[in-house]
This record gives sequence, C-alpha cells and structure tokens, in this order.
Amino acid sequence: MVTVFNLALLISFGVFFLPKKWKYPLCVILHVFLVASTTSWAIQAFTTDGLSIPLGISTWSGPITMVIDRLSAYFILIINLICLCGILYAGGYLKPYMSKKRAVFISLHLFSFLWLHGAMLLVTTMRDGIAFLLAWELMSLFSFILVIFEGQKESTLKTGINYLLQMHFGFALIMIGFLIADNQTGHLSFDGVASYFSTKKNILLFLIFFAGFGIKAGFIPLHSWLPRAHPAAPSHVSGVMSGVMIKMGIYGIFRVVSLLQDNLMAIGTIVLVIGIVSGLMGVIMAIMQHDLKKLLAYHSIENIGIIGMGLGIGILGKAVNDETLMILGLAGALLHNLNHALFKSLLFFTAGNVYYATHTVNMDSLGGLVKNMRYTSIAFLVGALAISGIPPFNGFISEFLIYSGILHHLPLADFSMSLVSIGTLLGLVLIGGLCIYCFSKAFGMSFLGTRRSEITQQVDEVPKGMLVPAVVLIGLILSIGLRAPFFGGLMVDILGQFPGINPSNLIREEISRSLTMTSNIHILLIVIIAALVLLRVWAQSRVKVATGPTWGCGYSAGDFRHQYTPTSYADSLRQIVDPLIDYQRNYKSFTEREIFPPPKTFHTESKDLIEEKTILSWVNLLTKYLPRAGVAQSGLINHYLIYPMVFLLILGLLTFLNVI
Amino acid sequence: MLSLTLILVASIYFPGIIAKVKALTSGRKGPGILQPWHDIFRLFKKGSVYSTSSSFVFQIGAVIYFSSVLVAALFIPFEENDALFSFTGDFILFSYLLGLGRFLIILSALDVSSGFEGMGANREAFYSLLIEPAFFIMFSALAMFTGYSSFHDIFVNLHYDNYFSIMIAVIAGYVLANITLVETSRLPVDDPLTHLELTMVHEVMVLDHSGFDLALIKTATNLKFVLFSTLSANCLIPQALALWERIAIFLVLQIAFAAGIGWFESFRARNKMAMNAQYILSVSAVAMVLIFVIIIIKNRI
Repeated sequence: MVTVFNLALLISFGVFFLPKKWKYPLCVILHVFLVASTTSWAIQAFTTDGLSIPLGISTWSGPITMVIDRLSAYFILIINLICLCGILYAGGYLKPYMSKKRAVFISLHLFSFLWLHGAMLLVTTMRDGIAFLLAWELMSLFSFILVIFEGQKESTLKTGINYLLQMHFGFALIMIGFLIADNQTGHLSFDGVASYFSTKKNILLFLIFFAGFGIKAGFIPLHSWLPRAHPAAPSHVSGVMSGVMIKMGIYGIFRVVSLLQDNLMAIGTIVLVIGIVSGLMGVIMAIMQHDLKKLLAYHSIENIGIIGMGLGIGILGKAVNDETLMILGLAGALLHNLNHALFKSLLFFTAGNVYYATHTVNMDSLGGLVKNMRYTSIAFLVGALAISGIPPFNGFISEFLIYSGILHHLPLADFSMSLVSIGTLLGLVLIGGLCIYCFSKAFGMSFLGTRRSEITQQVDEVPKGMLVPAVVLIGLILSIGLRAPFFGGLMVDILGQFPGINPSNLIREEISRSLTMTSNIHILLIVIIAALVLLRVWAQSRVKVATGPTWGCGYSAGDFRHQYTPTSYADSLRQIVDPLIDYQRNYKSFTEREIFPPPKTFHTESKDLIEEKTILSWVNLLTKYLPRAGVAQSGLINHYLIYPMVFLLILGLLTFLNVI
Repeated sequence: MLSLTLILVASIYFPGIIAKVKALTSGRKGPGILQPWHDIFRLFKKGSVYSTSSSFVFQIGAVIYFSSVLVAALFIPFEENDALFSFTGDFILFSYLLGLGRFLIILSALDVSSGFEGMGANREAFYSLLIEPAFFIMFSALAMFTGYSSFHDIFVNLHYDNYFSIMIAVIAGYVLANITLVETSRLPVDDPLTHLELTMVHEVMVLDHSGFDLALIKTATNLKFVLFSTLSANCLIPQALALWERIAIFLVLQIAFAAGIGWFESFRARNKMAMNAQYILSVSAVAMVLIFVIIIIKNRI
C-alpha cells in the first residue's frame, strides 16, 4: 500500500506530458490510488489502536512516517470522500475550460488538485514538526495554484496573493509554536508540544497554535481570506477547500486540544467566545451577500464557529470535571466537521452547477432555476436544509449533541458556567434562526420565483455526470440523519483515544438513547410526509386542479421586478444589525427638474467591518505613510554613498559608547 | 396517546371560541363554535389553482408544514409517561421540527414570485428568528430549575413549593403566552383578520394556496395553537390531582385560554410593523429574567 501511495504522487508528474484528453482520466485514477491506500489504513486504524507507516522518504529531521490514530483516520476518510467527489465533479465543470485554456494550465490545475489531496493526507498523519510543516506548506501552495485557476482576471490573481500571504502568516505562527516547544523540550514535534504542556503554562503556546490554525480554519477575526478566495476559485476547488481544507485548521486545533493540561478554563472560554462571534458574524455577513458563492463562504465561517463552540464547551467540560459536557461538546464539534464537509461541498458543487448553466452566481439576476434545473435545485434544497440544522438531515445531529451537553450541565453549573452555558445556547439558537433566514433567501432568490433579469439564453440542467457527486453526498447526509447513533458512537470511539478521556458506558448509552430516538423520529417524519403526499395525490385526483397567474391583489400585469430581491429580503435584519456591518447604498433619487428621467441604477454593498477594523485600517496606515520613506530614494549617487557612511558612523559611535 | 387525544379535542373548539368571543365583544352574534372546522373540511374537498410560476416546492410545502407540526405534537406530554417521544433534550427537536415546517412554508411563498408573499415570507423568517431564543431560554431555565431536560421530566418535576417558584410560574406563563401569539401569528404581532396585504404576515404567505393545501395549512395552524397552549397548561396543572380532575382542568384551561385570546384581540390594536422586532425581543428579555430568578433561587451567586 505504501508503494501505491508513493507511486500515485510520483506518477502525477506524468500529467504534464500526456495529451489533453488523457490528463483528466489519469488524475482520477491517481486519486483512486490515494483513496484506496489511505482508506485501508484508516479502517485499520479504527479497528486497531492505530498504526504507523514509514513512507521510505526522509527529510533532514529523519524518515517520514505516517502515524494514524483514530482522529487522523477520521479526517483521512473525510478528505478522501470530498476529494473524490471533487475530482468527479471537476470532470464536468472543467469541460468548457478544456478548449479555452492552454494544456499546461490544465495539467498544473489537475496536478495541484491531486497534490492538495496528498498534502492534506500528509498533514493529518505527520507527527514530526518538520514533516508536518512541510505538508502544511505544500497544502497552502497547491491550494494557491488552484485558487488562481482563472488568473487572467486581475481580481482573482490579487485574491490569490492575499490568500498566499495570509496562509504564510499562519504558517509562521505554527512554526513559532513548534519552535517554542522545541526550545523548551528538545522535540520538534507534537510530542514536544505535549511535554511542553505538561510542564509549562499552556495558554500562551495554545493561543499561538490557535491563531496559526485559526487562520486556516477561518475563525473571526482571522477569516478575511475566506470570503475572497472561495468565490474566486472554481467550484470544485471551493467545495474541497471549504469542505475539507479549512478543516485541517480544525484538525490541528483538535490535536493540540487533546494535549492540553491546564489553564483549561481560560482557554475554553476564549475558544468558546471566538466560536460564538464567528458563528453569529459569519451568518449575519452571509445574509447580506448578493453573490451565492460569497454567501456560502461566509457560511463556512459560521460553521467553523459552531465547531469552535463545541470545542469550547468541551474544554470547559474538562475544566469543571463534567465528563458528559466534555464528551458531548467535543463529539458535536467532531461530527460537525463531517457534516459541514458533506453539505458545504454539496452546496458549492450545486452553486457551480448554477454558474455552469447561467454564467453568474449573482442572486440579483438569478431566480426561477427550479423549473429548468430540477435536480440541481433538489440538491441545493437538501444542502440548505442540512446546513440550517433542520431535521431529518445531518446538521441537526451535531448541533443536538452540543445542545444536549449544555443542557446536561445547566443544573450542575455554578454562576459563571450558567451564564456561559446560556450564552452558548443563545448563540446556537440565534445561529439556527439566522441560518433559516439566510438559506430561505439563498434558495428562494436563486431557484424560486421567476428570473430576476432579462433572460438572454436558455438555461438547461447540467450534464448527468456533474450530479453524481451530489447524489453520493445527499445519501450520506440522509444516512447520518437516519443512523445517528452509529455516528455518535463513532465520535465517542475517536474521543476515547484522546489522552485523559475514558468515556464511560453510561455516557455512551445516554448518547445512543437520545440519538436513536432522534433518528426514529426522523424516519417517522419521512413516513408521515410520504403518506400525506400520497393522500394529497388521491385527493387531487378527484377534484379540478387548474393553473393561473399569481394572485397580485387584482393587478396581474406585474413582471419579475415585483419580486423580493436579495437586498430587500435582508433589509429587515439589516436594520437591527446595522452597527455590526458596513452597509453602503448608492442611489441618487429623482430631482424636481427631471421630467423625463433617464434609467437609474441602485447599488448596495455590505463590507466586512471586522476585516476593515482589524486588518485594513493598519494596512491603509502603512500604505499612507510608508511612501514618505521614498524621499530617501532620490536617484543621486552621492546621496546613496552618504547612507553607508552614516550607518558606519552610527555603528562606530554606538561601539564607542559600549551600547553594542 | 392521551395527550394527543386531548390536543385534538381541544383543537376542535379552540379556534371557534376565539372567533365567538371576538364576535360577542363587538356586539355580533357570530358563527358557531365549529364553523372554522366546517370551513376547513369544505376546503379539503375543493379543487386547487396553482400559480404558473410555482414548482414542486410549492406542491410539497404545505404537506411538510403540516407533517412537521403533527410530529411535533407527539412530543407534548400530559400525564406521566404519556408523550409518545420523550428523551433528553426533546424540546430542541420539537423546536427544530417546527423550523422545518416554517422553512418550507417560506419557500412556498417565495415560489410564486409575488411581491406580497415575498414580504410575508421575509417577515415570518425574521419574527421566528427573534422569538426562538425566548422558547429556548425559557425551557433551559426550567431545565436548570428541575434538573431535567425533556418536556415530560420538566413538567413532572415542576413543583411550586415556595413563594419564589410562583414567580417562575408567572414569568413562564407570560413568556409562553407571548410565544404562542407570535408563533401562531396573532395580535399584537399579526392580525389574521386584516384586510390589507401590506400589513399581513402569515396570511399573506398563503395567498396562493388553495383547496387541499390551504386546508392543511389551516389545520396545522390550529394544531400549533393548541400545542403551545398545552405546554402552558402543563406548567399550571397541579400534579397531585386525580386524572379526570386534571383532564377537566385542562379542557377548561384551554377554553379560558382561547377566550382570553379572543378578549385580548378585541381590545388590542396591532403593533406598527416596525415595532414588532422590539416587541418580540422583549419577550426574550423577560425570559432572561427567568434565568436570573432561578439562579437566585438555586443560590448560584
């Protein structure tokens, strides 16, 4: 199996030398190689206690070994699933580009996609610091290449560079974290971090790692790359990036959290608060968007926030010695990784279908797609329901685990923990309600009603091949909703391998009991709906069913302009969250003199206030003042000769004064 | 099954009583108690007209809305060991099930591409987003008070044995009553009898539904009413009484509740649309008071 894995990565270079039409099939085969080898290891890791596989390659810090425990195995399975769906989807999505793009760009894209897959697999299995950082860097580089697939557009290229810079900032933080641990313990690895945590104060090192991994995951206020990069990338890439690549940040945080020893109260509270803020701000910003893919990108931040909330209460549970709270919180966070990977990639793939068919993802000019793209809209609807945490789909299960953890703890909590618990609960409820608001908007505006712009071309359903990944993902989404106890038990099994966690049978039974009830109710719900649909068909077969124009209070000459738009739908919420967003509206009203007014335009935009306050304000200051230093660059050789002279003089003076 | 039977029985006369009381207070004779159900049954037998711009979402919307309310009804307990489903945290699933129905009814409203129905859909999404925290805060407060987190266990263990806990009953009753009014789109947030589309919330969403679908929606709304009033009744009925006494109290309470709503609606004007958000948020704020009362009772400070 090791040979298969290595061979797949090695053969991938062959993509560059093949004729155009063979590149894609080769890539699919190589992906299958990667999936086959690592999935077999992951399944072994679940049945045994874990395994380590030497890859037969060395870095300067020693041979590279894959260490797979259950946590790694779980993430490997998610990566394999979503990457496989991604490459299958890419087959259809890239078809129009095959003739437009030069062969070398196509090969580079496919090659990077494969290597992103490989690099993520390595990230989840490397324990040695150097190897981990190398894998992390490979992941960032190849995802950068994937983002700038349409690099002929200047905005895409700019986004890509922004992405690359932010990723390296995160990389630097993670490296600093490892170096601190190395400096104190002599091990540049996760073991070093573990022994650092057992001897020194935990909070500083944890926060460094949390910031480093948090940039990848997209926690607010480190999120600003996310809403730019996801819309710029092609849809199969956004699906994989949002579905699994940002989860690598979560994986890193989980790995570090599993090693924590003290300062748990403070760490838990910080993670929890950042989680709540990310969740709420993510979904509020999502509601304000017009661009379907940008909306989905902000939703990734929201879901990462939910994962953060689960993690936070899990850590707090450990801090207050409530095992049930800890396990339910962590299990909810862990399961939400899988859930989010499933529905978010489904949503990005279907958004890609919309782009494929209509060449736009701007909701202001979409609408009515449900009539022409029936299967795509069903897939999007399932994704929308699942991401809003609505039963009988999977999103509900992970949120339910987090809720039950909090509810279990409430009667036992002291004053501060009561407030924290109620705050978390409130956050989750508000996120749930806002999600319904947001996805009724996203689905309603893009797929329902009638088209919100003059129709220029016929819209058709995408080729069948592009719907295959959606079918797979919907199947899994439903199976988690209907077989929840199995997945809940799996999460507890994974957590059982964390140092210091021994889930008792009582907790297992409790989780299994409520999840069994939940799943049964889901099944009952589906049965009742099916029965009612049949009853309805029967009832309507006996009466007259007609079609007619929509009721417009007697006015039937209205056209698509009478419908609600994304802006107006979001407006009632905007009025109460106005201080949190930077909402701009461009409209000049009619003046008295305009007897025959020309066509008017109306433009609204919501900018990211947090990004502006935290990053852009500093960058703007720099770009304002740094050019003043340009005075020194006068272009005269005599000036340039003075500079080293002055430098040497200062150096001499400082030496003379014994300063240096 | 007892609770389900009681809910169904109460829902037979509930809407009729509201209408009757409203008629009487305004000096009219009013229709019979069973008139609302008579209308619904007539609708079930009628044909339908579908908007040309509607799709399959519109066709399944009403069905899913009704099913979600029906399944949610199975969670409501009345007597010990009575709710069909009872498990830790069941009120979360209850609330999210209602969310499913709401989501689909909002989508059906957006499906017909009418400006009016879009408006209703938008308001429904917005108001339910604001009222949900009140429901959750209230039940987690009760969970905190009793130490249990399923409807059944909460109600069984809810004893008002000192003066403080009577405060809990008062606040919880107020919050639940308001949640009921908002969730079922009654005054002061929404007026089901308003005649102007611009000021409607729930009614404007279902302008294009007809026949079987409209009947389902109306049935579901009536059921929802009784669901919430049963929750309130569960808070109020003492556990110590005999079964028949409790059933009698329950049925009388439902009549009183319906009459109270009719009375309230006769004398209260609808809020200004822009005031609704504030009004609904204030319900959550009152629910927060409940949390602090319980923290004080339990000596957590």
